[in-house]
Amino acid sequence: MSRRQTTAIRRIPDERVDTTAQPLVEMHHIAKTYQRDGAAVTALRGLDLMIRQGEFTAIMGRSGSGKSTLLHILGLLDEEYEGTYQLDGQLVSGLSADELSRLRNRKIGFVFQSFHLLPQLTILENAALPALYAGKRPRDCRAAARMHLERMGLAERLDHRPMELSIGQRQRAAIARALVNEPRIVLADEPTGALDSRTAMEILDILRDLNRSGTTVILVTHDHEVGEAAERIIHISDGTADDGVA
Amino acid sequence: MERPTTEWLSLLFRFALDGLSGQRGRSLLTMLGMAIGTASVVAVVSIGLLGRDYVIGLIEGVGSNLVFAYGTGGGVNPEELAFEDVDALRQRVPYVAAMAPVLSGNELISVKNQPETISVLGVTPEYAPVRNLVVVGGRFLTAAEDAGGAKVAVISKELALKLYGTTRLGEEWIRIFGLRFQIVGVFREGVESAAALQKSEAAGLVAIIPFSTFRNLSGVRFVDVVYFQAVNAMAVPAVVEAASSVIASRHRTLSSFKIESLDQYLVLVQRISDAVSAGLIAIAAVSLLVGGIGIMNIMLVTVTERTQDIGIRLALGAGRRDILLQFLMEAGILSLLGGIAGTLIGAGLPLYIGFLYGIEVPVSGISVAVAFAVSVGVGLFFGIYPARKAANMNIIDALGYA
Repeated sequence: MSRRQTTAIRRIPDERVDTTAQPLVEMHHIAKTYQRDGAAVTALRGLDLMIRQGEFTAIMGRSGSGKSTLLHILGLLDEEYEGTYQLDGQLVSGLSADELSRLRNRKIGFVFQSFHLLPQLTILENAALPALYAGKRPRDCRAAARMHLERMGLAERLDHRPMELSIGQRQRAAIARALVNEPRIVLADEPTGALDSRTAMEILDILRDLNRSGTTVILVTHDHEVGEAAERIIHISDGTADDGVA
Repeated sequence: MERPTTEWLSLLFRFALDGLSGQRGRSLLTMLGMAIGTASVVAVVSIGLLGRDYVIGLIEGVGSNLVFAYGTGGGVNPEELAFEDVDALRQRVPYVAAMAPVLSGNELISVKNQPETISVLGVTPEYAPVRNLVVVGGRFLTAAEDAGGAKVAVISKELALKLYGTTRLGEEWIRIFGLRFQIVGVFREGVESAAALQKSEAAGLVAIIPFSTFRNLSGVRFVDVVYFQAVNAMAVPAVVEAASSVIASRHRTLSSFKIESLDQYLVLVQRISDAVSAGLIAIAAVSLLVGGIGIMNIMLVTVTERTQDIGIRLALGAGRRDILLQFLMEAGILSLLGGIAGTLIGAGLPLYIGFLYGIEVPVSGISVAVAFAVSVGVGLFFGIYPARKAANMNIIDALGYA
């Protein structure tokens, strides 16, 4: 496979990266082509990626770079791709949708751009949801949700519905939800995209704190300033090796 | 599965309730559709049963465990039941609680100077209990009057009203066979519209006189009909059998006689009512079907509206089966509550109306159970398609990435 066909990944070397830590994400030759309006669109072409335990990685790229496709595969939301993907030592490429669902539930905590909290539930119920779907006892689920929400400074807001909270509080509630099953990876997709710059900084600080306390964080963004929060940046651009790096 | 089943189901049930509570108005309207369907099935079965009970009441009102024998007067050599036949029947037919031979004829009387034809029956005192006659004034004929050929009469309510405008008679007389008969009582039939079934000899303008009196004065040679009251319902076929063989032994052929019980009418009524009920239920079932389609429709809207909700749940680790069960439960809850409401309406309303009007309204427990089960089944069946649609959603599209 020629270099031109390979999705360009440019790593910014960082002395903070512990190269002896266990690899958490190992991807080899990930390729994905999908149909759009009858035409085949290649999103990823033979991508290799390794993320070690405890890293704070930003995956950056412009819209159309294949960044979203990578996010879906990383987050086990998409099972149709070529190549191999090992997550936490387990080969996950080729698993069924339900198996992926269970792995996603236990190993990955999602933080979305538009929070994706269920509007009819309180934030306590929202944060407990992944634990409930994991089959834990409801009382334990609520306790874990409460603990993480308190950690996010939302102790006074447990019984509020998302719409009653500020957007910063909503994203903090979503982070508490992402953490409730003690996942191996927090996968944040443009977590600051819907926030003003002050709140964005606050959320990035929270992600950094999470990483310092040992959680592997993957931040997907198109925003260089946001990407700078990470200790390692992976650039993705469609097929062009010399695509500029900020 | 590693998941604790009952706890898991109760969790999904809670999610289903959350989902429904997010759209109360719509859920209530959908349930209303189901309720109407269920109520109409239950009510229609009740109406069918009510109609059947009414007709059976009419038939049984003619007389319980009744067997009757009569000559049809048809055929080449018509034969009738003679008095000797009556004696033989009285001696030889077993399991008979009471027997009542009837003589009948017509008489022209004058009512307010207008000629009026009335029926005159000659009967024994047993006739009243055998035919369920109710004495509304005075008394019925006595055995002594029958034995002595007394000139007394009991007249029907209709005749009393026609003649005197009242059923409370003083000392009155009526002219029959050219002689004066003293009116000793007024009767009506136990079930007055029994005549609707078949012309009853006791319906209309009727005067009843003692059997022996009728026989002596009229010179009649045949009895019109002989009634037997069997000792119980089980004995009815045996009485029919015995009466037939007695009559057959005394005549050349049975062909000009009819020996019948009311059983055949009861069977006929049962058959007609079953057919009518089945038709009515089929019509009511259509409304149940419409209710089910209503559920499917609303669930499809719900699934579309809650696409992102479903996507989020899938992303957070819900299995396809969890989503499927949650939405099936939502459809099931809608139809279950609709079914309960419909059962209450369909069974409660007839009972209430029956209570108001003092009618005993039959509510079939089986029909309630079946309507209830069917409505829930319909809900679940029509819930499958939307629930599958929800469970098979593409997560990425559902999350709004597409």
